Amino acid sequence: MRQKVQQAVSPVFLKIEQLDEDKYGYLLVAPVFLVLGVLAFYPLVRTFYFSLQDDDLTGVHPIGEFVGIENYVQILSGDANAILTSPFFDLQAPFSSALIVTLLITGVSVAIGTVLGLGMAIILNKEFKGRRYARTIVILPWSIPIVIQGMMFFLLFQPSLSPFVEPLANLGIFSANPLISSQDSTIIIILIDIWRKIPFIALIIMAGIASIDQNLYDVAEVAGATKWQQFRLITLPQIKPVLFIGMIFYTISSMKIYGIVEASAGCSTVPTLTCLVVQTFRQQRWATASAIAFLTAVVIGVIIMVYVVRFREADAS
Amino acid sequence: MSEQQYSGLTGRIVKYAIHNSTDVYRLGFWVGLVSFIMITLFPFYWLLVLAVTPDNQLYQMGIVPENFNVGVFLTVVQEYPLHHYIFNSILIATITVIVCITLGSLAGYAFGRVDFPGKGPLLLLLLVISYFPGIAFLIPLFELLTGSLSILGTPTPDLYNTPWGMVFPFTMLSLPITIFILTTFYSQIPDGLEDAARVEGTTRLGALFRVIMPLSAPGVVTAAIIVFIGVYREFFFSFIMTDGSPENWAVLVYGILNFQQQHTQMYNMMAAASLIGIIPIAVLVILAQEHIVRGLTAGGLKE
Repeated sequence: MRQKVQQAVSPVFLKIEQLDEDKYGYLLVAPVFLVLGVLAFYPLVRTFYFSLQDDDLTGVHPIGEFVGIENYVQILSGDANAILTSPFFDLQAPFSSALIVTLLITGVSVAIGTVLGLGMAIILNKEFKGRRYARTIVILPWSIPIVIQGMMFFLLFQPSLSPFVEPLANLGIFSANPLISSQDSTIIIILIDIWRKIPFIALIIMAGIASIDQNLYDVAEVAGATKWQQFRLITLPQIKPVLFIGMIFYTISSMKIYGIVEASAGCSTVPTLTCLVVQTFRQQRWATASAIAFLTAVVIGVIIMVYVVRFREADAS
Repeated sequence: MSEQQYSGLTGRIVKYAIHNSTDVYRLGFWVGLVSFIMITLFPFYWLLVLAVTPDNQLYQMGIVPENFNVGVFLTVVQEYPLHHYIFNSILIATITVIVCITLGSLAGYAFGRVDFPGKGPLLLLLLVISYFPGIAFLIPLFELLTGSLSILGTPTPDLYNTPWGMVFPFTMLSLPITIFILTTFYSQIPDGLEDAARVEGTTRLGALFRVIMPLSAPGVVTAAIIVFIGVYREFFFSFIMTDGSPENWAVLVYGILNFQQQHTQMYNMMAAASLIGIIPIAVLVILAQEHIVRGLTAGGLKE
């Protein structure tokens, strides 16, 4: 039996041996791209195709006739708000419109998280006793399940349990039950997002700091530069590319925010873009949901473009 | 004159700070380090306090535990199939790791060690996937994996409520990072070692699995750990691809969410369940901290 298998397989191996370098390369990457073709590229194209159709709430398959960009027009003009669980964009109700809430969460979280991450990277880059343990501890928030990240803060802001809710309410910062107020819950979601992302961006910045030529600091030291000057004139410019990459990933990931919302305040309190897509999908409105999904991708694309342009400008000057 | 400027307590502190700037930096360093660790650990600590507080004392609890009801951890597992959900999570994560490492090794080898035209664009294509939000794949994948799509009259298999309904999307999400990490590690193996094996008569594929992979064992382990953590913590597809019962392969996401819905006031048990759910990851992070750091930076910077 074994021999038979070997006999059957050996010509194949021989063929592989005789392939030239190019074909061998393509052969090896073929399985991955075959799998990704079915599981990633085909779905992306089909989502776009869905977004150009009409919703069909009565048919066997929830996709109706071709309507072109009608779904996009309706979502952007606000005409679709009547069928959506929360508006896509409505300046009158900023905390209940998906795009504004998501952009607000992302903007504040990335700004604060990056600065704190930079601080953490600088601290953890120093040699000190127990650095290994410190690094292990700070990775924890990022690595634990998303549902538990949400659950932790859900419990932390339960009015009946939490030691913070009452003082914060007395100070006028939060209402008595922050998890049912859209405004308070948005702040809580931002807090969770910052808490769990600091380690992620800090690790990426650390890799950047580690690759800086140590001689630069020695020269600066001799020239009498203060630590702050060294940071501003050596560290910051040197880690700029890494910082941009980290911020882009941070931004993409915050724009997709969903799990911590579902596990804490809930999608009806903090309606992020992904929440809106899932809710629309659950109502069997596949076409509208696909259009919102694609709009989300476009918004993320625009933000990345802004980053890249800013980076080029900063690099050129 | 300077003596006059620096009078009083504040003045003396400022004076000290200016003349002993290294001490100030050292102080700043320790204050920063301790704050970061406290901010990181506080929610975990709070969860622990909440878990061990008996439920009749929950409404007057502070931030220091007054009673230690350690039995709560046993009660959770006895009254609720949390271990079943965790088992499902671990099994599905393990299958995904095996699929990703096998497929990713072939591609990582090609990207790291074989020269062929179109390498750059293909790597870029992988990056494109990590850019799109999960929702952009959701509906067609759901259609494809739940048997709602028919190809030439044959419906696709219904994988809803099976492990494969999650393994496929997870593979799609994890393959790019696996390949980025493995490409980095495989490209670092010196050519001579591979050539030596080939001279001794090993086939090309044999050299990959018998020489390159064992030599890059740390890289393979790094990729495996990153994928495992990624799947274990995943929310989106875990939430969509099952109906939430543990018999139907619901994972930890539902283990926590169902508990939250069924036992609305049992906050101490919710906290205990969350802590139990963290254990597998905490163990992994403690054992493999260096791999995780390396994997995240290798994967992140490659891109």
